[in-house]
Amino acid sequence: MSEIIVVENLVKRFKDVVAVNGVSFTIKKGEIFALLGPNGAGKTTTIHIIATLLRPTSGIVLVAGYDAVKNADEVRKRIGVVFQDPSLDNQLSAYDNMYIHGRLNGLRGRELHEKITKLLELVELKEYAHKKVMYFSGGMRRRLEIARSLLHEPEILILDEPTIGLDPQSRAKIWDYIKYLKKEFNMTILMTTHYMDEAEELAHRIAIMDKGKVLAMGTAEELKSMLGQDVIYVTLKKISDDNNLCKLFDFVKACSMLDGNRLELVVDDASKALPEVFRVVSLNSLQVAEASYRRPTLNEVFLHLTGRELRDSLEQPSVPQRRRVRGFR
Amino acid sequence: MSSSDAFASMIYRQLKRWWNNRSRVVMTVLNPLLWMVFLGLGWGGIFSPQSIPTAPGIPNMPSVADVIVKAIENYFKQLFGGVDYVTFMITGIVVMSAFIASFISGISVIWDKQFGFLKETLVASAPRSVVILGRIVGDGIVAAIQSLLIVLVSLLLTNNINLINTPIAILYVFIMTLGFTALGTTISLKFSSMEGFQMVVNLITMPLIFMSGVFYPPTTMPEWMKWIAKFNPLTYSVHAVRYWLAGANAGFEYMNPLTDLAILIAFTSLMLVTAVKTFEKTTVED
Repeated sequence: MSEIIVVENLVKRFKDVVAVNGVSFTIKKGEIFALLGPNGAGKTTTIHIIATLLRPTSGIVLVAGYDAVKNADEVRKRIGVVFQDPSLDNQLSAYDNMYIHGRLNGLRGRELHEKITKLLELVELKEYAHKKVMYFSGGMRRRLEIARSLLHEPEILILDEPTIGLDPQSRAKIWDYIKYLKKEFNMTILMTTHYMDEAEELAHRIAIMDKGKVLAMGTAEELKSMLGQDVIYVTLKKISDDNNLCKLFDFVKACSMLDGNRLELVVDDASKALPEVFRVVSLNSLQVAEASYRRPTLNEVFLHLTGRELRDSLEQPSVPQRRRVRGFR
Repeated sequence: MSSSDAFASMIYRQLKRWWNNRSRVVMTVLNPLLWMVFLGLGWGGIFSPQSIPTAPGIPNMPSVADVIVKAIENYFKQLFGGVDYVTFMITGIVVMSAFIASFISGISVIWDKQFGFLKETLVASAPRSVVILGRIVGDGIVAAIQSLLIVLVSLLLTNNINLINTPIAILYVFIMTLGFTALGTTISLKFSSMEGFQMVVNLITMPLIFMSGVFYPPTTMPEWMKWIAKFNPLTYSVHAVRYWLAGANAGFEYMNPLTDLAILIAFTSLMLVTAVKTFEKTTVED
């Protein structure tokens, strides 16, 4: 069984908003899968449903073959979750937070103690083990939460915005842990992010979400090649007298001469077109001094799919995540 | 066995949190002490024979005055179930402080919601029923320890406390606190507004305390208040604890330690079942 998470036509309607509107995807064992999209796209809601914290309005969610609604207990045994908002007990020490998590998830005694020590070492918090979490920085808390989620060695790790609000060093560290987990334990990781670089750096496959729907899914390369228009820049060593070099490259979509010896070639797929470009260049006894190509980033893909920039959408107000239900007045 | 582990870990958490918060430990004893000293000793003087001879209308004849003083003293004693007012009130305060502590700790599930720890317990692989029962029992233990401390402190103010029966009294307190922690838990799982937090606590705790016989015997209440007091579980634990700690019997005719126990167990069971059912259905939506 290679498909460890199956989400089919998932719909979640809150009182006034449809947060998730017909989302489907599958995640293979050992894969890092990212949901990428702006705040309010429905990523967290989707993840909460998979983690059995919300009941879907309709649709099917299977985790390791178990239905997330009917067999929630079985699902919970197989997942480790790092939430977007902190979920540590601030009044307790790092060690106690780990300890309680271990006991809540079926670990005990010597084994538990050793695992806690090992994991705190992994996330470089060992010397703070007996400090209360309330004195921890954001990055330390995040690392502690990741360590905690790994304690019971889940098959599937769910990370909701793992690096939100962190400084670059902490981000880099957390990226390293995620890569390490994949490499060392072949863990299946489902993550959400609104950072394009994060999705691109970590995920094997990415689903771009907006307004409760998955707009596109695939590897970062696949997503970007949807746009087709790669741009290749070739600088030649010696320019020939012939000013019309473009006629040599009849296989490209568009070609133009830039100042000096630079050519700009627009192609569908630069990785396929580049060898051909080199072949043509050498056939005509020319030499390449420099070659580069620029691929569309995920931001351009998002722009292409939604008509707006991902980073613009980040500034829009999101669907309220924690709603105040019937307050006492 | 992972269920008992989860149960134990939640008890551990509640105890550790209480212990880590030393100032709270001190406050839980200091606050009832203030009530006992000022309200107990203050009113105690009024409801005692020393205040009687100087009262207007008492004839200034030693023999008559003695008879009247005796009669009034007996009246007070009978009113307060056979003990003086200080003892009467102190034994009530023991229950009151356990009640407030347990209700607030149940309600403080709302803090777990706010600070996110609730989610951690919601995705745990242990059965949710075990998790929430562990939490409630942990709080119950904390409340029971607190009331034991208060009983010890009360020894400074009265010498009518029966230390041998104290464990039995604490057992009643423990059973009651489980019920009220469960009630508080259910309430805070259903509601998420932080603003209402303090108000709910006051709105529920104050009337229940006033209509339970902590400060005055339920038998002297107006009819409508008596009627509510009979449906107030706190009334029965106050009555029973007073009985075991001081041998006092200040309550309605049908009340005795056994009926008290039966009613408390029934109440607590109902509350526990409700809390478990609620927690099992809890999502992050509410």
